[in-house]
Amino acid sequence: MYLTLTDVTKTFPGRSGDNDVTAVDKVTLNIAKGELVTLLGPSGCGKTTTLRMIAGFEFPSEGDIHLDGKEINKLPPHKRDMSMVFQSYAIFPHLTVYENVAYGLKVARLPKKEIKERVAKTLELVELSGYENRAPNQLSGGQQQRVALARALIMEPKVLLMDEPLSNLDAKLREQMRNEIRRIQQMINITSVYVTHDQVEAMTISDRVVIMNEGRIEQIGTPIEIYRHPKSRFVADFIGRANFISGVVQGWKDGRLTVTFMDRLLVVAAAEDEYKTGTAVTIVVRPEMMQLNPADGAHVDGIVRRASYLGDVVEYDVQVGEQLLSLVESDPRHLDIHPEETAVQIKFLEDCLYALPPSN
Amino acid sequence: MTTPIAKQSSIKTNLAHRYREFALIARDPVLLVGLLLAVLFILTFVFFPIGKVILRAFADDNEAFNIEYFLRYFDPYFSRYLWRSLLSTMTLGIATATLGTTLGFVFAYTVVRCNPPGKRWVHILALIPIVSPPFAIAMATILLFGRNGLITAKFFGWEFTQGMNDIYGMDGLVFVQTITFFSVSYLMLRAMLERLNPAMEEAAHSLGASKFYIFRTITLPLLIPGLAASFLLLFVESLADLGNPLLISGNVDVLSAQIFLAVAGEFDYQKASTLAIMLLIPTLLVFVVQRYYVSRRSYVSVTGKPASGQILVKEPVTRWTFIAITYAVLALILTLYLSIIVGSFSKVWGIDYTPTLEHWKMMLNRGNEAIMDTTFLSIMATPIAVLLGMMVAFLVVRKNFSGKDGLDFGSNLGAAVPGTILGIGFILSFVVSPWLLVWALYITMSLFFVRTLFNTPKEQLSILLGGSVLVGLFWYSQEFLGEIGTMYLLGGLYMALAAYFFFMRGDKRSGKLLAGLGFYLMMSDLVLYISYPIASLSRQIDSSFWSDAVFQLSDYIQVLFRVPQTILMIPYLFMGMVALDKVRGKERPLLSILFLGIGGALAFVGNPLAMVGTAFIIIFAFTVRSMPASVRAGVASLQQIDPAIEEASNSLGANAEYTFRKVTLPLITPALLAGLIFAFTRHMTSLSAIIFLVSPRWRIVTASILSEWEQGGVSLAAAYASSLILLVLLAIGLMYIVTTRILKGRSDADLSLGA
Repeated sequence: MYLTLTDVTKTFPGRSGDNDVTAVDKVTLNIAKGELVTLLGPSGCGKTTTLRMIAGFEFPSEGDIHLDGKEINKLPPHKRDMSMVFQSYAIFPHLTVYENVAYGLKVARLPKKEIKERVAKTLELVELSGYENRAPNQLSGGQQQRVALARALIMEPKVLLMDEPLSNLDAKLREQMRNEIRRIQQMINITSVYVTHDQVEAMTISDRVVIMNEGRIEQIGTPIEIYRHPKSRFVADFIGRANFISGVVQGWKDGRLTVTFMDRLLVVAAAEDEYKTGTAVTIVVRPEMMQLNPADGAHVDGIVRRASYLGDVVEYDVQVGEQLLSLVESDPRHLDIHPEETAVQIKFLEDCLYALPPSN
Repeated sequence: MTTPIAKQSSIKTNLAHRYREFALIARDPVLLVGLLLAVLFILTFVFFPIGKVILRAFADDNEAFNIEYFLRYFDPYFSRYLWRSLLSTMTLGIATATLGTTLGFVFAYTVVRCNPPGKRWVHILALIPIVSPPFAIAMATILLFGRNGLITAKFFGWEFTQGMNDIYGMDGLVFVQTITFFSVSYLMLRAMLERLNPAMEEAAHSLGASKFYIFRTITLPLLIPGLAASFLLLFVESLADLGNPLLISGNVDVLSAQIFLAVAGEFDYQKASTLAIMLLIPTLLVFVVQRYYVSRRSYVSVTGKPASGQILVKEPVTRWTFIAITYAVLALILTLYLSIIVGSFSKVWGIDYTPTLEHWKMMLNRGNEAIMDTTFLSIMATPIAVLLGMMVAFLVVRKNFSGKDGLDFGSNLGAAVPGTILGIGFILSFVVSPWLLVWALYITMSLFFVRTLFNTPKEQLSILLGGSVLVGLFWYSQEFLGEIGTMYLLGGLYMALAAYFFFMRGDKRSGKLLAGLGFYLMMSDLVLYISYPIASLSRQIDSSFWSDAVFQLSDYIQVLFRVPQTILMIPYLFMGMVALDKVRGKERPLLSILFLGIGGALAFVGNPLAMVGTAFIIIFAFTVRSMPASVRAGVASLQQIDPAIEEASNSLGANAEYTFRKVTLPLITPALLAGLIFAFTRHMTSLSAIIFLVSPRWRIVTASILSEWEQGGVSLAAAYASSLILLVLLAIGLMYIVTTRILKGRSDADLSLGA
């Protein structure tokens, strides 16, 4: 592995006599060369602190960080061969675009000619050629973001670190920039660590996603693994939307689980853990894993409490017994829209349902 | 539940935190040095002098415990007079604060909300009182409205007889102080008004509130913290003011003037100290209330940017009423300043208004020295104040450590206490060597020295002992060598060390550094070979102006090489540590003892820190007074720089030093320049803090103005004041050109940063 974190912990002294605050708690993470890994989690989950420890702005209280086989725990940022893209862009306001991008190369005392060539090449990569002499305050948010990216990329760092780089852009631009970042990252095959709290961003951009909560890693996996097989309620809830229905284990075989829930007997996918017959289990039912008024095989009856037409999809809240289930039906052109307070039938798409590991 | 054991362990972990924090700072040597310098400076020049004043009030001339002057407040013979003067001081403070804040608000409201014609000029003219000498307004008021005033006597033909209500007294004093101090209030309230979010008032408007209702229920309540802050600040300024009361208070006695008279007239330091405590109590109370109460109740963050899209008053009656008042006051201010200038050109004010250059000639003759001394000392103090201020600002904004609040408090205290008190404190502290302080400085520095260089307590202790024995030897050798000889000896030793580093160790950088240090020490005497010829040259010049100027130059050159040795010890020990950085092995402890011994000995050469009568006591008094403004300017500008910008530079491979040089420094340059201007003007115009510190050798213009005025040279005093105002305006103009031209108008250095 190229970049590894082993049991990395960071505690900050509490304010005036309070207890220590553990921002990052025993985080272990292995990142392969050329991989883009996203640290995803709600604010305060320790993702930024983890990134800052990788960058060298904070030193771990415990644990080790290795880069390319060498321990770098206490190495200051400027000796780490990594560059960082900041949430606020942190563009030097008193320098032009050219000077900003060339900054790191000047620090490294590269010959002028080489600097010039590399700046030109990098600006081309981020599609900012011709902007060399602009001052930062003459640039739009997206352009500033590109300058920040170019400034980091030009260093050809061993690891590129990005701290919520898109959170200050508007929605359209964000979408465009995140595809751009992914394109460039793939093109030059640079190892990257990306911090975000936006799950869509994480899903679209990453090779692997690390979900963090309260300083700990909840789950590491590819976007597909994370979405399909969340290890905990927190992950299931944080990535996409989920209904949680409790059931009782009836049987367990070959990774399939027979459960009773809502008084029905269903077979669902299960994690690799061991499930004991008769124990309670939580089933993750995503809104798109249900069908309304199916032609046949309906499982439960319910009443529509809310229906919202969003254009590409219709969202429903359907009350089944005591529980309110969120449901999504796509492509409403071909479907009836069920008005509020009408009775409906629900069919669970059994293949897609997933039981959380027993500890949940 | 907290059991006693749990509590104890929490104290323990708490201490562990503090230690860890300190260890974190210690890992950053630049930071540690900065912190140490700031702390030592504040300790030496703020806390020590103030402490001296407080203690002096409880001791008679023989240093026996005595509270006679406090008891006088309860002695029927004195008490009526004492309480009355206390009461009039408070009355003055409250009246000035109320009127000044009101006027400041009117100005702020006019400029921000009423869009007056010539807005820019209104702003600039409103700031003039801030940069002019503290008693200029009192002088001008007497010239215009006094018993022989141009308006009262000449236009109205009033004749003043005994018992008539003239301009002298409480009414005149309040008027003068209001005009003098309202600018400060204006600046504070303008900043607040600009940062009020217009959406709040628009929200109230959309809910159906009328303009006046909005003002009463939204605008005013939001401004109350600002108004309170302005009131408190003006109250303190009014209490601390010395120049105006001396000129215009008449029969009314106020504390600041009484303190001045106790020292200058009676030489009774115990009395002065007692009165100083009476003045210190309300001042510190207000300072603390302002810091810990009012400023935390604020709804408006003053550090933020002005809100865009200000609401403008369109209703003509309100708008023009505000504008008219503003214009009228500005006209009054202009007339007042004009009268000073006219006064300086009038033959005999009040009797013969014939224009003449006689006073200016006289001033250039007699006041030449004062003007040059003041300018020189102000320039010397400016970089010290600004660098220290920026350093404190950097520590306060960017670093986390315990005692940060204390550092901030201490650095602000210097300007918050009335100048007279600080002045007395300086006299009491530095008239003879303050051995306690000298020892404290030596012990702090030597502990820092050994703790930074060595790890085990055993090593630390032996180096400390060895070095201190050496210090003792040097101290003893003064008996035979005298001060000058000792300086040559210490300088020679540095030279020898330089040779050792340069030739034997091949460390050329340290060698040059040490040679420079040694040479500088020797220059304290050698400088006479430069300054004597210059002084004798001055005697051959006929024109008294140039002769004076050249003579002064010889003095100024000496000052450069005669920094008090105790102060020198601090950088010399730091430099020693720099040189020792690369030394390893057996030489390390040996050389450490030498560096500690030679450097530390500097603290005890001659009469350490007995600075009364020298240039340095004035320079340090200036510095203490203007540093807080630099701190505030620095804090304001650093807070606007995203820390990520520095981190970005760091992550691109630049170390802390490169980052500071190429990123931080260019970004804070405007604040730095604003700090420089403000510090300089503050030095040039300060009176209360240095009036006791002037000596025949070092004269200060403000003090000269006062003495000329008292001797009846009204026009001469006016000429002095005009030239002082001119010099300050020149400095501001120069700085303005620098900021707008050289920095290409990247940021306009606003004087308001300093206030």
